[in-house]
This record gives sequence, C-alpha cells and structure tokens, in this order.
Amino acid sequence: MKFIQKIAHLFIPRESNNQKAKLLHNSSLTLITFVFILYQLLISFVPRFAPKILGFAANISPDEVVALTNNKRSEAGLLPLSLNSTLSQAAQAKGADMLNKGYWAHVAPDGTQPWAFFTNFGYKYKYAGENLARDFSSASSAVEAWMNSPSHKENLLSSKYKEIGIGVVEGNLVGVDTTIIVQFFGTKYADTFPIAPIAEVKAANQPPSVEETKTLVSPFNMTRFVSLVIVGLLLFVLIIDGVLVTKRKTARISGRTFAHIAFLGMILAIVLILKAGKII
Amino acid sequence: MKHIAKHLPHYFVLFGLLLAGILAFVLFSYDRIFQMVVAVAVAVSYVIWGLVHHYIHRDLYFSVVLEYLAVAVLGLVMVFSLILRT
Repeated sequence: MKFIQKIAHLFIPRESNNQKAKLLHNSSLTLITFVFILYQLLISFVPRFAPKILGFAANISPDEVVALTNNKRSEAGLLPLSLNSTLSQAAQAKGADMLNKGYWAHVAPDGTQPWAFFTNFGYKYKYAGENLARDFSSASSAVEAWMNSPSHKENLLSSKYKEIGIGVVEGNLVGVDTTIIVQFFGTKYADTFPIAPIAEVKAANQPPSVEETKTLVSPFNMTRFVSLVIVGLLLFVLIIDGVLVTKRKTARISGRTFAHIAFLGMILAIVLILKAGKII
Repeated sequence: MKHIAKHLPHYFVLFGLLLAGILAFVLFSYDRIFQMVVAVAVAVSYVIWGLVHHYIHRDLYFSVVLEYLAVAVLGLVMVFSLILRT
C-alpha cells in the first residue's frame, strides 16, 4: 500500500504533493538534471579506468564507400572516381596516425597536414581533398551526414577529382573504441595541364558502409536511451497532470502544463533526430 | 483547453519557436556549433515565453520562473550531451 502511495505521490497530482506530481516539482527536475550530468561525467571517465567498454566499432568495406561515393556522383551527373591503391594506402596511414597520436582532426597535433600523406606515398597531386568520419552505425547515415554538409558535399561532388582512396581503421581513440574512415580525393599532377600544384584540402566526411556492426557500449546510444526514458517519463506524467488538473479544475500556482509538453516534445524530436557519427 | 483557446496567439508563438528549433536541427545537422546555438536560443525563448505569458495572465511567481528554468535547463543538458557525443 505504501509503495502505491509513493508512486501516486510521484506521478499523480494530489494533496500529498500539493496538487502537482512530485516528479514535476522544481526540486525533482533539478535533481534529475544533476543526476543526468553525473551520468554524463561517469560515461566520460569510464574509458580512463576501464578501456574497451565504451565505443562503437563497425566493419566497413572500403569498396562500398567508393561505390556509395560514385553513386552520389552519378546522380549529380559527374564521372565516377577510380580507386587508387596509393591513395588508399595514404588514407590508411592517416587513419593509423590519428589512432597512434590520439587526435581527431585534419591536421595532426605536430602540424602534419593531410596532404603530407599524399606526398609521403608518392602521390603527386594537383588537387587533393580529405573527408573524415567516425562512429557511424550505417553507410547510409554517414552518406547522409556527408551530403548534408555543404563543405563535405563539395568535396564529394567535385569534378576536379579523378581518383579516390579509402582507409578504414579500427582502434582505441582516447579510450573509446571506434572506427575511423579516411577518404582521400585526388587528381594526379600528371593528369592535368602542368600548372603550379594547388592543394585543396577540405574537411570531409565519408560514407562508411557497414556490413556488420559490433557495438560495444556506445556513449551516444547510452545517452540517447537515458534521455528518451527521462523525456518520455516526464511527458507521461505531464499528460496525466494536465488531464487531472483540468478535470478537477484545480487552482494552483504552476507553469503551463501544455507549454511544458510542447517543449519536451521538441526535445524528444531532437533526441530522435540526432544521430551518432562525427564528420570533419 | 479553455485556457489554450483563450491564449491561442501565445501558443502559436510558442509552437512557431519550437518548430523552428526542430527545423534548424534537421537543416543544419552537419553544424554542431549552430545546433548548440539553436538549442540555447530555443530554451531561452521558451523561458521568456513563460515569463511574458504568466505576466500577461497575472500569475507570474518566482516558483513559476524556476519551473520554466528547470525544464529548459534539463532539456538543454540532454541536447548538449547528445550533440557533443555525435
């Protein structure tokens, strides 16, 4: 009986909670916020003490990345890029460099530029471009992320590039297991008129195509799950609250339940819209 | 429902703000910084909407202000946490 009373106290407006579900009191909302922040801190610190628990790794086929890229290009009326093994080796080396040095950027902490990898492998370029992606759960989501970003899309659909190289590396990046995709675009100096070489390196993402995903415990998914539970619970309680207060014609000092429902509804939509995967 | 019908223009403004926020998230999915700015802007607008609405309705109290702040901050913390992990 006591348990039911406690539940009612938490979820239903009644005398014991001053005609407002305890879960909707300012103190409860503040407590939920603090607990959520603590949870986030915990997720952030777990990799330091227990590596190999958090992360997201996927088996991504470089060939599929190339195919997806060329699909997008053909849809735009462009010629397909041909896979260049030298570029792929360079892209692989860039990915390995990021894992070894623990960075996620176009330029390494020691100042190494992306195009250094092109020249290190003997690829003399006239045009060069780089797209990076990590943590994508599917090829389509990565491609969409890429196509939704003007700068990355520009790289992908540039008529200046003739060749492509893909590097896929899996490993531990600052305590979190991840899969990084490096996409190099290039046009050899020899393929063009002999004009002074121009390096155009832009942040790019790339489309990973995932054949099989092996999810550890993805920090993003954990955060999303908990967010959905909290928002769902609060919406549920707010709806009950709104219905009962209207029905009983309860007079009380409180914010507008309907406005809170609308705001949390927006948060719910955003939580559902946001997808895992980073592109630079 | 009576209250909503009475203050329909207020709620239209609120829905407009929230829908604009969702739309911005969809359209600028590639720009995390912009998404964070949008999240803050919508949360602040929501609190301001609450203040103005209750002021006009003559039932603006400190606890009500705190309530809007608490809901806005909770939503903001969740969205920020997710954006930073995307």
